[in-house]
Amino acid sequence: MTDSGARAHGLQGPLWRAIAVYRIVALVYVAILVVRNVRAYERPMLAWPVLAITAGWTVFTTYAYADPARRRPPLLVADLLVTMGVLASSVWVIGRAPLELGRPTLAVAWHVAPVIAWAVAGGRRWGVLAALAMGGTDLVVRAHYDQASFTGTVLMLLAAYAVGTLVRLAETSQIRLQRAIELEAATRERERLARDIHDSVLQVLALVKRRGAGLDGEAGELARLAGEQEAALRALVTGATASAVDDNAEVDLTTLLGPYASTTVSIAAPAAAVRLPSKVAGEIAAAVAAALDNVARHCEPGTKAFVLVEDEPGEVTVSVRDEGCGIAPERLAEAAEQGRLGFAQSIRGRIADLGGTVRITSAPAQGTEVELVVPRASIG
Amino acid sequence: MNAVTTPGKQIRVMVVDDHPMWREGVCRDLAAAGYDVAAATGEGRQAVRIAAAARPDVVVLDLQLPDISGVEVIQGLLEAVPGVRVLMLSASGEQQSVLDAVKAGASGYLLKSAGLSEFLDAVARTAAGDTVFTPGLAGLVLGEFRRLAVEPPVADGTTPRLTERETEVLRLVAKGLSYRQIAERLVLSHRTVQNHVQNTLGKLQLHNRVELTRYAIEQGLE
Repeated sequence: MTDSGARAHGLQGPLWRAIAVYRIVALVYVAILVVRNVRAYERPMLAWPVLAITAGWTVFTTYAYADPARRRPPLLVADLLVTMGVLASSVWVIGRAPLELGRPTLAVAWHVAPVIAWAVAGGRRWGVLAALAMGGTDLVVRAHYDQASFTGTVLMLLAAYAVGTLVRLAETSQIRLQRAIELEAATRERERLARDIHDSVLQVLALVKRRGAGLDGEAGELARLAGEQEAALRALVTGATASAVDDNAEVDLTTLLGPYASTTVSIAAPAAAVRLPSKVAGEIAAAVAAALDNVARHCEPGTKAFVLVEDEPGEVTVSVRDEGCGIAPERLAEAAEQGRLGFAQSIRGRIADLGGTVRITSAPAQGTEVELVVPRASIG
Repeated sequence: MNAVTTPGKQIRVMVVDDHPMWREGVCRDLAAAGYDVAAATGEGRQAVRIAAAARPDVVVLDLQLPDISGVEVIQGLLEAVPGVRVLMLSASGEQQSVLDAVKAGASGYLLKSAGLSEFLDAVARTAAGDTVFTPGLAGLVLGEFRRLAVEPPVADGTTPRLTERETEVLRLVAKGLSYRQIAERLVLSHRTVQNHVQNTLGKLQLHNRVELTRYAIEQGLE
């Protein structure tokens, strides 16, 4: 509570000021009622010191709650007790009989302020707790249990609940905003680092790969390894981490596909982010992974594959083409019939769930091309 | 190397790369392949300064230089040596910067991870006036035309558009097909495929110049 409370101070400030204003207005109201009813009180002389305490406490809390560090249990409990005390003093000052006749208490309306303060400081649970305590005291003091008395208490309870909920909502959105800002800063920092790394490590790796390309034995092997690492590192520094908050948050499909780039896999995409709900992007990326996995499994090692991402207003098209041996059309159909085309089925299933279509074209010695088309409309 | 076999005149190449070992390696490879390495430097500003004197036919340019951006180098080079052809190299394949450089007037792009023969072939094609596209660059250019198409049209209606054929060719380049494979699949000549690719780049560069001029007029610079 204290941690998130500290973060949401910016939002709580106006609420605390509103409570202070409410308290002052209520004080004026109480003062007017006392002046008008004082002759009917059993001990009218005691009404003035109680009113003075009410005024003093109003001034004190206005200043005390202005300091965020003091919006904590000691002051909140004191606030509740002092207000309850003022309310309870009505029994002696006004007397049982006038109260039962419906004369207002010495803290009428003013007693709601600490309840709202509790709701703002501690959320709806604290608010409801304070409302129950204050409402109970009010009913006992007034000692007549008609519809109007109960309505007052119920309204106070509702107000406390609503304010408590609102404050929690405001805190949550503040924290979310904070997290989004932090994430953006981290992404920018990562991009800056990526540019730095580019100038040192990537260049050396690419150089080693190139100079050693023609050599035999261990040197050639080293060059090949350097080339692989260069591709892996390039994929890493260009693809930022896409940590989606939930299924509907948008992520960049290109970023998700970035890690699949390698010495044999080329990824072509627009410069701008291809924004899709994270669930949709995740499914497409999984389908692409399945297609690439199929290339790695069934084609010769080193077979090149090309992924193309196209972002159109109505749909997103992703094609995966390989330069492998390809499959004869009749074999493709035959395999599908016998349920042996695991990868195709997994891709079709995923894309069909998104309302999209899959086209697989292949010919012997011409490689295979898998084209996924996902409409944006179905994505919503 | 077809470009080098042209008798009489050697092709002059300038190498701009801030990594000394890489720069020396590239110079050595180019010299071995028969090119005249006219100049080599590691800084963008210096490259623009010495280009006028070195008068290269082709500049092999690292997109990421320590002093000025790739776009600024390309603009400076084109001003200093009109008609010079720029082949960009980049180690990290940063997308937006590659696209910006192409729009600024570069005529080819290659990742540094490309093999030696691929690199020499790219230099030869650049020298011959061809466009060197990687599948990645084709994807970027396709994306850029689609972005322009959905943007609100500018007043004088200069939004560049690809013909259906050009889109078809560019998609196949992005899917990794060679010009020869594309020519076979679409039943076109190799030269026609090359022309289509070159046209897409030309449209993008022309649009970029129009945009820059408009911006300059709006800002009261002219």
